[in-house]
Amino acid sequence: MQGPGSNGLAQLQATMHAVELACTSIQMHINPAAAEATLLSLRSTPQPYQACQFILENSQVPIARFQAAAAIRDAAIREWGFLIADDKRSLISFCLCFVMQHASSPEGYVLAKVSSVAAQLMKRGWLDFTAVEKEAFFNQVNQAILGIHGIDVQFIGVNFLESLVSEFSPSTSSAMGLPREFHEQCWRSLEIDFLKTFYTWARNAAISVTNRIIESNSEVPEVKVCNAALRLMLQILNWDFRYNSNSTKSSINVFSAVARHDTDSPRGSECTLVQPGPAWRDVLISSGHIGWLLSLYAALRQKFSCEGYWIDCPIAVSARKLILQFCSLTGTIFLSDNGKMHEHHLLQLLSGMIDWIDPPDTVSKSIECGKSESEMLDGCRALLAIANVTTPFVFDQLLKSIRPFGALTLLSTLMCEVIKALMMSNTEEETWSWVARDILLDTWTALLVPFDSSGGKSMLPPEGVNAAGNLFALIVESELKAAVSSALTDDDDDDYLHTSISAMDERLSSYALIARGAIHVAIPLLTRLFSERFVRLDQGRGVIYPTEILEEVYSLLLIAGHVVADEGEGETPLVPYAIQTYFADNIEADKHPVIVLSSSIIRFAEKSLDAELRALVFSPRLMEAVVWFLARWSHTYLMHPEEIKEGNSAHDQDHQLRLLQTRKGLLNFFGEGIQGRLVLDIIVRISITTLMSYPGEKNLQALTCYRLLHALVQHKHICVHLFSLDSWRNLAHAFANEKSLLLLNTAHQRSLAQTLVHSASGLMNSDASNLCIRDLVGHMVTCLGELSGKDDFKIVAQQPDIILMVSCMLERLRGAASASEPRTQKAIYELGLSVMNPVLVLLEVYKHESAVVYLLLKFVVAWVNGQIAFLEAGETAVVVDFCMRLLQLYSSHNIGKISLSLSSSLLSEAKTEKYKDLRALLQLLSSLCSKDLIDFSSDSIETQGTDISQVVYFGLHIVTPLISLDLLKYPKLCHDFFSLLSHLLEVYPDTVAQLNSEAFAHILGTLDFGLHHQDTEVVDMCLRALKALASYHYNETGSGRTGLGLHASGIMDPGGNFQEGILSRFLHSLLQLLLFEDYSPDLVSSAADALLPLILCEQGLYQRLGKELLERQTNPTLKSRLANALESLTSTNQLSSTLDRINYQRFRKNLIWYRRF
Amino acid sequence: MSDEEHHFESKADAGASKTYPQQAGTIRKNGYIVIKGRPCKVVEVSTSKTGKHGHAKCHFVGIDIFTAKKLEDIVPSSHNCDVPHVNRTDYQLIDISEDGFVSLLTENGNTKDDLRLPTDENLLSQIKDGFGEGKDLVVSVMSAMGEEQICALKDIGPK
Repeated sequence: MQGPGSNGLAQLQATMHAVELACTSIQMHINPAAAEATLLSLRSTPQPYQACQFILENSQVPIARFQAAAAIRDAAIREWGFLIADDKRSLISFCLCFVMQHASSPEGYVLAKVSSVAAQLMKRGWLDFTAVEKEAFFNQVNQAILGIHGIDVQFIGVNFLESLVSEFSPSTSSAMGLPREFHEQCWRSLEIDFLKTFYTWARNAAISVTNRIIESNSEVPEVKVCNAALRLMLQILNWDFRYNSNSTKSSINVFSAVARHDTDSPRGSECTLVQPGPAWRDVLISSGHIGWLLSLYAALRQKFSCEGYWIDCPIAVSARKLILQFCSLTGTIFLSDNGKMHEHHLLQLLSGMIDWIDPPDTVSKSIECGKSESEMLDGCRALLAIANVTTPFVFDQLLKSIRPFGALTLLSTLMCEVIKALMMSNTEEETWSWVARDILLDTWTALLVPFDSSGGKSMLPPEGVNAAGNLFALIVESELKAAVSSALTDDDDDDYLHTSISAMDERLSSYALIARGAIHVAIPLLTRLFSERFVRLDQGRGVIYPTEILEEVYSLLLIAGHVVADEGEGETPLVPYAIQTYFADNIEADKHPVIVLSSSIIRFAEKSLDAELRALVFSPRLMEAVVWFLARWSHTYLMHPEEIKEGNSAHDQDHQLRLLQTRKGLLNFFGEGIQGRLVLDIIVRISITTLMSYPGEKNLQALTCYRLLHALVQHKHICVHLFSLDSWRNLAHAFANEKSLLLLNTAHQRSLAQTLVHSASGLMNSDASNLCIRDLVGHMVTCLGELSGKDDFKIVAQQPDIILMVSCMLERLRGAASASEPRTQKAIYELGLSVMNPVLVLLEVYKHESAVVYLLLKFVVAWVNGQIAFLEAGETAVVVDFCMRLLQLYSSHNIGKISLSLSSSLLSEAKTEKYKDLRALLQLLSSLCSKDLIDFSSDSIETQGTDISQVVYFGLHIVTPLISLDLLKYPKLCHDFFSLLSHLLEVYPDTVAQLNSEAFAHILGTLDFGLHHQDTEVVDMCLRALKALASYHYNETGSGRTGLGLHASGIMDPGGNFQEGILSRFLHSLLQLLLFEDYSPDLVSSAADALLPLILCEQGLYQRLGKELLERQTNPTLKSRLANALESLTSTNQLSSTLDRINYQRFRKNLIWYRRF
Repeated sequence: MSDEEHHFESKADAGASKTYPQQAGTIRKNGYIVIKGRPCKVVEVSTSKTGKHGHAKCHFVGIDIFTAKKLEDIVPSSHNCDVPHVNRTDYQLIDISEDGFVSLLTENGNTKDDLRLPTDENLLSQIKDGFGEGKDLVVSVMSAMGEEQICALKDIGPK
């Protein structure tokens, strides 16, 4: 940086004025475009440092100073590689000195910006600076933080460290255009070498001003420093500690609960664990640091009435947050002394903050009277944090030394108060009690979610059980009250409803955990509440329309469902551990509380079969809850596959035995015996009722189809029983013959077909299964055959009733096809075979009816997908032929077709429909493709089968012209298309070589388009395809064959011009991409993989391109660097000219180095 | 189905076009529906309940297939709605006359000359341009409830 000459000064002034003018005019909205251009040019000027520094020091306009700082940052990050070491250092120290000197300036945001620029530059040079250089900077900062230069500078020093730490922390760092490794190295280095020192500085700064704060009765300037220091400490404790903690998995003690954090706290998002490791023990634990913090907050609490302090004043908030952070402290920072040290630590914190929440009724009352709730909420959060790092037992014990009751009791009474407040308020708004309830529920969840498979963690101590029982009773009471009060409101607001349902589900599962904590109270309570309502319903029959009771029963069903059973999430859920173990004394199965509760609900549900009662009581909404409950319940209890493990410990054999018996009793009660089949029959009959007697109730029917029936046929052992039930056979018969089921939503019909076909596979032998399926699907085949065979079909086809019929049949076919299993494959294959011709007729007739066409394509896709792997050679040929006819027919209808409509939304609908069709066609081709990879047919390899690769290329040839660039804007279609294309090129490059030049050009055109796509995944797939093509060519020519032949060598076009070969074209465009365009670092390795074979194929061209590139570069330094880079790209690292794994790896490394240039 | 057809016959209005009753719950997005006497394509269906424990009702948003106007309707989902019979026929385009009519070749060799060109400039130019370039064009004519309109065109000329 040269010193300013005389005319240099004038120029600097001119720049400053220009920038100032731009800044003010942006603020006043005068000619903003020009102003922005000025600022942008300042940022992109090379070496603007002098001008910027001049502005920072001399300008009277704060925004101009702000912009100048930003420009320094941008330019320095951009030009860092070219700056000499002195310049780098002087930039940073300029920024540091600037903030220190102007520490008292009122424009805080300018200081903050400059400070963050200093931090960013420091990070950028972190790996280059020597330890001494860093030391020098930090010395300066330390001086400031010590307070030698006054309060303002002290504040600035702390502030600088705050931006530095946030810059180094991966989640908050700013982008620098450097690889991830750089950030990781900085992260590691700061954590190991500096973080603790910074913490100590911050703590000392805070301690040094504490007395002043405590002594004064009004706000003093020291508060600002103290607050900043507290924030910095909080930020440091928020650091994602990695390197210091030494917490290998083997050293986890029970107390640290590390494993739990990763897997089992689904909702602990608010609460992250802090695990800095043993090195931090002296600073955080043994130095009396926490005592100081607690007494600081206690002192602040006294001052809340004074001027300048209040419960939500910044310093109080920061102090509370820091205390919370300490509650989450865990891991190896504590000695492994059986948790003593950790317990002591938590006790200290708890006694410091117990006044925030205890006594609960007083706290709650004062909040209702207008006191701010934030302290109480923070108290709740602290409980949550502690719950996250302890077991229920330890949690409960903690409080006993300072209070006559345990922490669980406190938690329970606190939550009871919150729920009472919630019942009182009864508004839609989010009140404090709402927030508090959610936090406390999270706390219960954290305590009660089973720690490991034995569930040992979730057992509550006896006092806690009572607390949980009381709480659950109050919760149910409040839910029932809420149900009654909401019964008559008409919730028309759909969005609100949806969000509240998912929130409710989460809440209910927490309730369930609490209930299971006190299972002996909770289940009988539910049973009693249910039977009260059932009796009232019976009495009130026909007299009043009992909406309130219905709503109550609805809520109870949801709660009971959550308490007795877990959500399977695709797996078979176990009987909840608490239920399995708690009723050891209750040996008689039919007196088991869970059985009593379940039976009474099922008896109630059975009443819905009675038409009169159904009309009076079983509203669609109530029925939804019934179906939901039955689905959830039957998933866990109905015909449970018995697999009781023998207890491995013999120490308490008697107890074990009794436990085993109770469990067996519980499971066998609804097992495959009479009782189980009876219940299954009831469930099936209820399903038939919801499908046939609730016309148009889509939600209810969706629940029945997707949750209840699907859950039933998922279990093979239930399927075995289904077809022995009259009710199930009735359902199957009705499905094939009754009109009322044709009125179901077509998607539900599909699901029903799928369910029925699935259940058929549960029959004892496969002949019976296949026969049964033929019965089930026969009506579809006949119906479609008859329709399409009619002479006047073309005329009547467009009638809405015919369209509806055809749609239903196609959906049912699709459902049946998608339920194909190995043992029923034969019947499904025949099904498809017999509708092939009708399908083609339908495609022809309904060519303008896109909704039908789509259903038809989806059926074919599902059918081919299920069948292809099993087909013998002859069958494959039939299927492939059919698919090609389908494709050609579709293409002939749609190619070159333009939809005309006045309505833009109808036009875009038409485009979406086209997109969905094409996506289905691509899926069809992909399924065909898979025949080469997975083949279960009995054909030997020698059998001359269909050449799948040619088929798929042919298919692609038909489909590609239909895919316009506009359609490729649909991400899914684009993705499917390119993955199919790259798969083909990778697996069958030889077939590509045989394509004619037009087809070939088309495929490569798309590839070229894909290379420049936004989506990195698409680019990646294209690169893989390129690699496959080039390496195929290289290997083939290497062994004397033609490879891609003319396609690669280039041809004379008819006009006599030479057209470049495709490999050289791609070498061009790939180099262009790598050198001059922005691309994601994720692509480097695949780009390397593609580039290497291309270079090897086209050595000459590569040399020529390199030379051209060099000649175009005018700057001599850059020129030599570029030459070096190009040189080392191909000649270092013992790169040879073969295409093996090692060589690819070497080249990848070279390219990564090359990028650094 | 024959009994239903009989029922439709009696309901048909003067022309050849008809509407058919269909349960509201079975009408899906992309299907057709008559709203306020106009044939519409359904672009949105949502269901809600009448009161908490009442029955489901469907809320349809449709777009008039001829005028592109947006129309809405709410129907209890177990009730019937009218669904228009929408027919589409392909004709080869023979001529475009000065007075805004097209001349079309029917399947049995006759011509159909009573169809007006759309008045919208944009659509008009899409038809006229292709014809002007001498392409062989096939137009699809959509008809429902006594109205008809060109809804798509397709170039079938030699490749």
